[in-house]
Amino acid sequence: MRQVRAWFVRIWGLFGKNRRDREFAEELEAHIQLHVEDGIRSGLTPAEARRAAIIKLGGVEPTKENHRDRRGIPFLETLARDLAYAARTLRRNPGFAATVVLTLGLGIGATTAIFTVVNAVLLRPLPYPDPDRLVYIAMSFGEPGDHAFSYTQDYAAWKSHSRTLNQMAGYMRFQANFTGGGEAERITGAYATLSLFPLLGVQPVMGRTFRPEEDRPGGPPVAILSHAFWKRRFGGDPSVIGKSLTLDASPYTVVGVLPATFLIPDRHESDFDLWVPFAMSETGKAKSIMLQVVGRLKPSVGINAVRSDLEPLMQQFRRGPKRSVVVSDWHERVAGGARRSLVLFLCAVSFVLFIACVNVANLLLSRAAARDKEMAVRRALGAGKGRVLRQLLTESMLLGVLGGIVGLALAFWGKNLLIAWISRNLPALAPIRLDYRVLAFNLGLGLLTGVAFGLAPALQASQVQLNESLKEAGRSAIDGRSGHRLRNLLVVLEVGLAMVLLCGAGLLFKSFLRMRGIDPGYRSDRILTLNVNLTLSQYPKPLDQTRFFQQAIERVKVLPGVEAVGAGTSLPLGGYSMTVSGLTIEGKPDAESMVSLTMVSPDYLRTLGIPLVLGRYFGDADREGAPTVVMVNESFTRRFFPGESSLGRRILNPAKKTNWMTVVGVVRDIRPWPEVAAAPEMYLSYLQAEQVHLRMTGGEMGSEMGLAIRTSGDPMSLLAAVRSQIALIDKSQPVHDVKTLDERRAGSLAPRRVTMLLVVTFAALALVLGSIGIYGVVSYSVGRRTHEIGVRMALGAHQSQILGMVLRNGLGLIAAGVGVGLAASAGLTRLISSELWGVSPTDPWTFATVVTVLAASGFAACLVPAWRAARVDPTRALRYE
Amino acid sequence: MVWQGTLALMVLKTLDALGPLHGYGIARRIEQTSRDLLSVNYGTLYPALLKLEQEGYIRSEWGVSENNRKAKYYKLTRAGRKQLAREAHQWKQATTIMDRFLSPTKEVS
Repeated sequence: MRQVRAWFVRIWGLFGKNRRDREFAEELEAHIQLHVEDGIRSGLTPAEARRAAIIKLGGVEPTKENHRDRRGIPFLETLARDLAYAARTLRRNPGFAATVVLTLGLGIGATTAIFTVVNAVLLRPLPYPDPDRLVYIAMSFGEPGDHAFSYTQDYAAWKSHSRTLNQMAGYMRFQANFTGGGEAERITGAYATLSLFPLLGVQPVMGRTFRPEEDRPGGPPVAILSHAFWKRRFGGDPSVIGKSLTLDASPYTVVGVLPATFLIPDRHESDFDLWVPFAMSETGKAKSIMLQVVGRLKPSVGINAVRSDLEPLMQQFRRGPKRSVVVSDWHERVAGGARRSLVLFLCAVSFVLFIACVNVANLLLSRAAARDKEMAVRRALGAGKGRVLRQLLTESMLLGVLGGIVGLALAFWGKNLLIAWISRNLPALAPIRLDYRVLAFNLGLGLLTGVAFGLAPALQASQVQLNESLKEAGRSAIDGRSGHRLRNLLVVLEVGLAMVLLCGAGLLFKSFLRMRGIDPGYRSDRILTLNVNLTLSQYPKPLDQTRFFQQAIERVKVLPGVEAVGAGTSLPLGGYSMTVSGLTIEGKPDAESMVSLTMVSPDYLRTLGIPLVLGRYFGDADREGAPTVVMVNESFTRRFFPGESSLGRRILNPAKKTNWMTVVGVVRDIRPWPEVAAAPEMYLSYLQAEQVHLRMTGGEMGSEMGLAIRTSGDPMSLLAAVRSQIALIDKSQPVHDVKTLDERRAGSLAPRRVTMLLVVTFAALALVLGSIGIYGVVSYSVGRRTHEIGVRMALGAHQSQILGMVLRNGLGLIAAGVGVGLAASAGLTRLISSELWGVSPTDPWTFATVVTVLAASGFAACLVPAWRAARVDPTRALRYE
Repeated sequence: MVWQGTLALMVLKTLDALGPLHGYGIARRIEQTSRDLLSVNYGTLYPALLKLEQEGYIRSEWGVSENNRKAKYYKLTRAGRKQLAREAHQWKQATTIMDRFLSPTKEVS
């Protein structure tokens, strides 16, 4: 307590210095006078008495000094003095200060911007109460990869028998056609169990969450709106509670509105528009057979315990692989996928920061040489090594913090750009902000860089040789061998780092080009794609569905600007596709492979420009009543009829075991996704949907179709006309997921593109900073050698010889840096091999290109000072100094 | 050289015994009572006084000395009085223990 009070008083003591000094001087004077009078009384002369008094006191000035030290906080006072001095020095060299602060600001700003994202995604806990105890539970069939779902029957068993979880909840995405009040819309909602909102601790802003009687089969149909959906479709209507809305032609009553901040942190989906009860039976029967499960651990229960608790509760199927439980920390599961790329960005950006630090260190070293005399004078006047070191470090830390402030401004401005860029690679988490953690990181970074780049120059400056420095007129002692070597070493390091970053960027760039250059097997230019999912209760039979799409195709085909129209159950890059296994093929008893299956309109394959290899395309004659026909791709032929033709072969319809389908045509393979190789595929004519009778969970296969429209001009310009034609058939069937096919292709590459662009940006920054570093060192050494160059020229050296000498010096540094960089890159690029595609981590062409680029820009950076050196006028150079 | 803690305690005791006093007076008094055992370098007294004042155990104000000189007088606060009692008690305890420890005793076995 008393100590705290004393500290406050001491902080107060930092102010009013003069008054306090005066007062103590008076007090001491009184003390001495009293002592002197005592002395005189005991028989001394006044002069003797005064002398004795001062000796007894221990000297006037030392006493004052001790008193001052105790009065304030000497550490702070020295710091304030050093800071004031540093600020004055910097003000006198605005060019130097600006260069340093901007260089650091770039580095720190980029690092801080990346850190804001790292902070939001990896460090900040999930926005729910007690987030550490939330776990995500999924099942696995023993296959590697992402385990996202569980079966509802398992969930029901877990929920009633688990001993390790306090609460358990499930949710599952669904899509539905929303009608009533304006244009029909395909919305994305989610089924939620009763326990979900209490588990996540969310309170609705209006109304309530679900009631037990609503979350059981046959319960009243109710819905809870997300804040955004309420604003968008209900105009934020305050009396929305109790109103009715229509999903897939069924009415639901609105019972609540969720807060705007609520979200499910899921990296697959964006926000859900609305929530309806899961309405699962006791045994787990529900509309959906899969769901996503979260749970809350009981106190002092570990994740592994949950696994061994839940696994025995699963019913194993008689056929099929054994299922097991995967339990993970929810935050880890959500953020884990983003960790790799975030760590990659953080590494890349810290290289940039490091290079910036090296540059600044070099600048400081050059300046330290110029301030050599100042340091010598300080030492001569009694400042210890530590004191000089401290003052110089204070100066560089001031620079660091100033750079940090500039960086913070850059980060604040750049973070939205960055987020817009990389949000596709991130889970949907709470908004990314500059919070206290980011500020602390930024300040820490500023101080750390201050020490990092300031330590070497300061150490060197504090070791100044007094006699030498003071004696040597003009020429600096620091400028000797060791200072020179240190500067060169730093430049070599810098070039090496830039090289590593450039190699990484080059490899990512090449992978991206490779991937973008893949021939997908279809033509994506000038194609508008959109989806229509028919409301099943309005279009229950395949015939109704086919009629709808047939009408849509007829109407769109005649629009001006439309060249061709096709419809298919799954568009390229369009989400889901259906696969069947265990086909029966005539004459092939064991056809176990998985085969994708798409139902298409006669013009679909032609519209997408998928070339025919053999036989014919579907035609309007391939309709109900005609023999069932099928088309296959080349992979199918290769897989099932290697070395033969598949034309005319017969395949048993997997849905109707009496129906044989004849292969009438073979088309080229297409890649479903850029990274995925083509697989065996069958196409069926949707005009025969009734007799093929394929069913998908949740509906007839032909109720969900994508339209591909080849246009003569800009595809998007036709959208309004297409929409209104489809609305004319039935305005309650919404069009959704509208994109050009080119956009879909770009979208499928977007995450790679972002990674590549970010790393390329950082690499470019590194290249620029590295070149500046080379320029700085070479031109500094030219400056210091002006005299020598003058002598050489006076003795007959040619301009070109001088030019060569300086260039050799610079290129030597670059060569050493490239050597270091090559060795480091060869080792480090392996770490990003999972981000690469079709390129080896040590791709010689990439490395060669990088070396060329680096050498060329390094050469350019040397050229300016070399040219200046060659133009030195010997008569003036010899008078220099 | 006097230990900081001991010096502080002596200052407090002096002020308790003699009432308000200036720095020189305190220094003389300590020197006399310790019978010159502790030869105080008077200067070291002032940081100690400042520390006590910062901690709130003493207060200072300008006054006039016995021979009509302006001088700064220190006096004990209530907190200082309590602190003195506490410290004196601890000190006594410590010395008693050390006494007992150092005085020759019969071996008990």
